[in-house]
Amino acid sequence: MEYKIKINEKVYHVDAGLPDGLGCTNMLLDEKARSVSVTSFSDNYLHLKVDGQAVNLFTARTTEGIWVWVDGRARLVENADKVERRKARGPSEVMREVTPPTPAAVVRVLVEEGQKVVKGQGLVVVSAMKMEITLSAPYSGIVRAVNTNVGDQVKPGDILVEIEAHAEED
Amino acid sequence: MRPWPVDIKATALSECRGLSMFSKILIANRGEIAVRVMRTAKEMGIRTVAVYSDADRESLHVFTADESVFLGESDPAASYLNIDKIIGAALQTGAEAVHPGYGFLAENPVFADRVTSEGLVFIGPSAKVMAALGNKTTARRTMAQSGVPIIPGMVDTEVDLVRLNQLAEAMGYPVLLKAAAGGGGKGMRIVDNPAALAEAAQAAAGEALTAFGDGSIYLEKYLDRPRHVEFQILGDSYGNLVHLFERECSIQRRHQKIIEETPSTALDSELRDRMGAAAIAVARAAGYVNAGTVEFLLDRNGKFYFLEVNTRLQVEHPVTEMITGLDLVRRQVEIAGGLPLPFSQGDLSRRGHAIECRIYAEDPEADFMPAPGRILFARSPEGPGVRFDHGIYTGFDVPVHYDPILGKLVVWAEDRSGAIARMIRALKECVILGVKTQIEFLLDVLSSDAFKAGETHTCFIDDHFAQWHPHSTGDESAVLGYVAWEMTGQRTVPSPGDVSAMADWTSPWHTLGAWDLAR
Repeated sequence: MEYKIKINEKVYHVDAGLPDGLGCTNMLLDEKARSVSVTSFSDNYLHLKVDGQAVNLFTARTTEGIWVWVDGRARLVENADKVERRKARGPSEVMREVTPPTPAAVVRVLVEEGQKVVKGQGLVVVSAMKMEITLSAPYSGIVRAVNTNVGDQVKPGDILVEIEAHAEED
Repeated sequence: MRPWPVDIKATALSECRGLSMFSKILIANRGEIAVRVMRTAKEMGIRTVAVYSDADRESLHVFTADESVFLGESDPAASYLNIDKIIGAALQTGAEAVHPGYGFLAENPVFADRVTSEGLVFIGPSAKVMAALGNKTTARRTMAQSGVPIIPGMVDTEVDLVRLNQLAEAMGYPVLLKAAAGGGGKGMRIVDNPAALAEAAQAAAGEALTAFGDGSIYLEKYLDRPRHVEFQILGDSYGNLVHLFERECSIQRRHQKIIEETPSTALDSELRDRMGAAAIAVARAAGYVNAGTVEFLLDRNGKFYFLEVNTRLQVEHPVTEMITGLDLVRRQVEIAGGLPLPFSQGDLSRRGHAIECRIYAEDPEADFMPAPGRILFARSPEGPGVRFDHGIYTGFDVPVHYDPILGKLVVWAEDRSGAIARMIRALKECVILGVKTQIEFLLDVLSSDAFKAGETHTCFIDDHFAQWHPHSTGDESAVLGYVAWEMTGQRTVPSPGDVSAMADWTSPWHTLGAWDLAR
């Protein structure tokens, strides 16, 4: 059986055979052959043997994929085919929006409507968890709207400043 | 100084003196520190009262306490900073004393004063001592007058930008803007050149106002790559003062400590004795009672300067407990209860090496921004010399309104290299899934040659890890595990009433080789 597994930006190709009587499977990971067996102790704990070497994985399932912990690192493991289907449903503009990363309070508004801004320029300063975070322009352009005031409680998804993109600046 | 023989037990003493220990205390805090204080209280037979805000309805400290009182909305001003509500909770439950933890009202003299005026005991120094030492510029002035070396800089706050400019020029750049009303890195900005001063001053004052309710700032000379070395002090109400050695807290990011250890690699016994004596001199000059910490900056020439006194129990107190074998919260409660210290400086010794790593809900891939969320799975590390003080559990929603600290992982070992190896092992076992943490970053710092060599100073992170990003070790195992997991079909989760299915999960040998695709 073939699998396309995605972690961050990398896609791994796995070709897995059927398990033998002892629960051992041969898998081809990006062309490298491995012998893998799994013992599952609970919803959150998998014990792997890969070519005879033990690996302990801790897992937590979400709608987007499975968080897997190995040796101090957590990463989201997704089925790449499922990721493609989700992407097809509509573009995500999250990285290009001026929105707070966590629920926060607005403490300073640094720009106004009609103002020209350059990529990286500070637009709004919000305060969350006792830290001040400056939201900056994801690209250069003109401020079309400022949708917030000092003192507002805002959350991820709220578009605080709208910027109409310019062609590349001279 | 009245030395007390060490073999007098505290209970016998209290009987002699007609004192009795508190029967109930209120912990005016939340999260891991509230849990930690409650544990000692339980061991002392003292009943505990927790206070909580809306966001903390299902927090660990609420479940740990014997009683709990709801304060109100999650915003700190409406809850953990609300003096009236906290006093009300103490009076309503019949608590006899209040432990303030760290942060929030722990160093607020108005609160300490109010507690005592309501007939309750404040577990900490007096409001007067707190006020004198809590204002950083006043403290600097006092220390300067007492002959304790201080960092060159201002002993008063300043609002006038022109004046600040002049002082900075006179001192010489780089300079450090700091908040007078509190620490923890809030309201601090390093300024390299005159052009950056105005904006930095405004930002620092703003942050200070938000964090401490007081936007006053002052300037200090910025020392090059100093070490942050602090001394734990303990004083009873009879004038006995001791220090419990140092803590090295130089590994910081944005002026927030992330790794602390003891002993410091920079101190030999001669320097330790001198700094310890200075810490005691500071405490004595201030008339300090209960637990506190005297912070120094140690420059590269072995000269040390008084930084400030923290009039509270600190986040990193566990490393001191590990090397001395003492319970500092217990000492705090006993001192507040009127008991004398049962030891003198000569009785105290340290053993081995301890390291603490603070674990935050932060996204290392997004410049360590706070990353609250639900903890989908958590599992504590274990084993010899491992201690994990935390406030989390599987299923807990980390609130956004407060400091994102999830817990502190502390290890003790016979020597520093043993402690580093143990911390690395423990971090790898410290499973937290669902919220991002900087555990991977901590592992890289601890494994680095620079850390192993003990070259710790306050610019360590900037110097060695400014360009750090996560790597992909272990991803291949994760992929194989995922595929193997998927191939076993949908794992059925037994429903609550499904007893027979639960029985199948008891033996791991039962599942070996049991996945069978050809059904």
